[in-house]
Amino acid sequence: MKKLTAMIMAMAMTLSLFALLTGCGSDPSTEGTSGTAAQGGSINAYIWTEYVPESVIKAFETETGIKVNASFYSSNEELYAKLQSESSDAYDIILPSDYMIEKLVSQDMLAALDFSKLENFKNIGESYKNPEFDPGNVYSVPYLGGVAGIAVNTAKVTKEVKSYADLFDPAFANSIVALDDSRAVIGLTARSLGYSMNTADAAELDAIAAKLLTLKSNIKLYDSDSPKSALISGECSLGFAWSAEIALAMDENADIEIVFPTEGAYLFLDNWAIPKGSAKQDLALQFINYMLKAETMVDVLAEFPYVNPNEAALALLDESYTGNHAKNIPAEVFAKGEYIKNLDTATQAKYEEIWTNLKK
Amino acid sequence: MEKHSRHQFRSNTLPALGTVGPVGIVLLGLVAVPLIYVGVMSFCSLDQYGNYIYQFTFDNYKNLLNPSYIQIYVQSLLIALATTIICIVLGYPFAYLIARTESKRKNLLYMLVIIPFWTNSLIRIYGWRTFLGDTGWLNSLLRGFGIIDAPIEFMYTRGATILGMVYCLFPFMILPLYSAIEKLDKNLLEASADLGAKGRKTLLNITIPLTKGGIFSGSIMVFIPCLGYFFVSDILGGGNSDVIGNLIQRQFQKANNWPLGAAISIILILITLVLVKAYQKAGGDMDSLGV
Repeated sequence: MKKLTAMIMAMAMTLSLFALLTGCGSDPSTEGTSGTAAQGGSINAYIWTEYVPESVIKAFETETGIKVNASFYSSNEELYAKLQSESSDAYDIILPSDYMIEKLVSQDMLAALDFSKLENFKNIGESYKNPEFDPGNVYSVPYLGGVAGIAVNTAKVTKEVKSYADLFDPAFANSIVALDDSRAVIGLTARSLGYSMNTADAAELDAIAAKLLTLKSNIKLYDSDSPKSALISGECSLGFAWSAEIALAMDENADIEIVFPTEGAYLFLDNWAIPKGSAKQDLALQFINYMLKAETMVDVLAEFPYVNPNEAALALLDESYTGNHAKNIPAEVFAKGEYIKNLDTATQAKYEEIWTNLKK
Repeated sequence: MEKHSRHQFRSNTLPALGTVGPVGIVLLGLVAVPLIYVGVMSFCSLDQYGNYIYQFTFDNYKNLLNPSYIQIYVQSLLIALATTIICIVLGYPFAYLIARTESKRKNLLYMLVIIPFWTNSLIRIYGWRTFLGDTGWLNSLLRGFGIIDAPIEFMYTRGATILGMVYCLFPFMILPLYSAIEKLDKNLLEASADLGAKGRKTLLNITIPLTKGGIFSGSIMVFIPCLGYFFVSDILGGGNSDVIGNLIQRQFQKANNWPLGAAISIILILITLVLVKAYQKAGGDMDSLGV
């Protein structure tokens, strides 16, 4: 009996371990998205979860005969860690956010893109070209973006909420679902005080740390994966979440409205890039060019309604996208917002300390 | 001389190598090397990009004494302690029941404990979220019957985290308790009754002392994973009741500070070793830990 008990326990423990590990990504070579014969070769793509529709990847495979082995990450840091630990030719396509592009470029980890093979780059709107994090788009082309907006359940919240600062109101005790993301939450606090989200000033950081503690009692839960769930069910009457999550919540629950903070919102833009070590840059460029097609983006936006930098696609989209300001975010919101930047190691440590102090 | 030593190699060394060798390789590759790697990394520094470099530093261990971290350790230990106590209180009668049931129904009861394990624990934890949420089944039911007006906030609290931990780790308490109670000599209980002891006295003086090995090993099996099960505190605690596992996961997946994550892991390993040592000192049998 004892043997059996021990064996069952060992099995149970192993199983629960698997439960955790399977969430942490897997070998790109084994995780294909389809069984298409690899006539045109294959590429390994390492991309965000819930961001590129499987149907779009399948359509690319059928059109070109190139097989895409997709694996997924859920944070830029996960991507970075994987790029550091895998061999340099492990991936042919990646999809880092703004600040991560900058970090990868600074360490010479990205290949310069051959724009003669990216004719669809002309579809990208001028205001999304030549970004601060990659001047001249040498290494990256934009895919989708968004802001960290405020979601308000108008049936439950009677006070007017216009800014990040309004979220600190003690009247909203235990009612916010916030991103489980240190840079976003600290950035929100910084903007509410009129500081930059990338401040390294010691006095400003002290003020942020103190102010942030007054937000603690208002936050009911932290959820980066699916903050819309708590909004749709009504469990949380306010949300600090990615705009597309709020847009999806609005589709499900008519009481929910999106508010763009008057201080200027946290912005993000995710971009296609090719790791320097990739041996299949031509195939990767074909993939990126396909993703830049207007028709492709229409399919993408039907599933993931983020901000679309593809102007040609905008002309093809219907009212349900263009008329919805949570999906088709007004240009002035983007003009007023701020991207996060890489911090030096000492400042990064301070941000971590502020965050741990909030979460303790 | 030459012949003799070859003979000795064949008769002594070879069989030993053949039997212990494969296990040794597995242990070396999957236990020793990763542990050494974690240990080495915990003394590494970060470069200006946040990558770890092999430059010796004690800073990671100094950072462990950060007051916020200490509060999380304490919170984590309290959650683990509460979980363990609840598991003993609920698990003991249940294990007793299984051990004392007729053999046919015994297997059935035993399977009832095991079967939930065949489902991924993440899915079961999400199930609790659907069940306990403000608009979840339990609250809807209570409101439907007019028992409450406003939903009771079960979710996103330390209590919800403890509930999830108890739910995940309950079988690890039941199984060692069961095997301890099973082994208990029934003659002793009869003797106790013959000498005039009532049920309660027998339980306190005979049954529990003689099954304390099971209680100890169950407690170890529950307490230690509790410190690390970060997904339970993430999903049910809503990120409001972090355990040591959350701290470690955060350093590796979000903060990109692997050396600090490694140092916290070493602390977790030390806590585990201390507990297992204490268990051994208290007369615990290493075999019943299933190791």
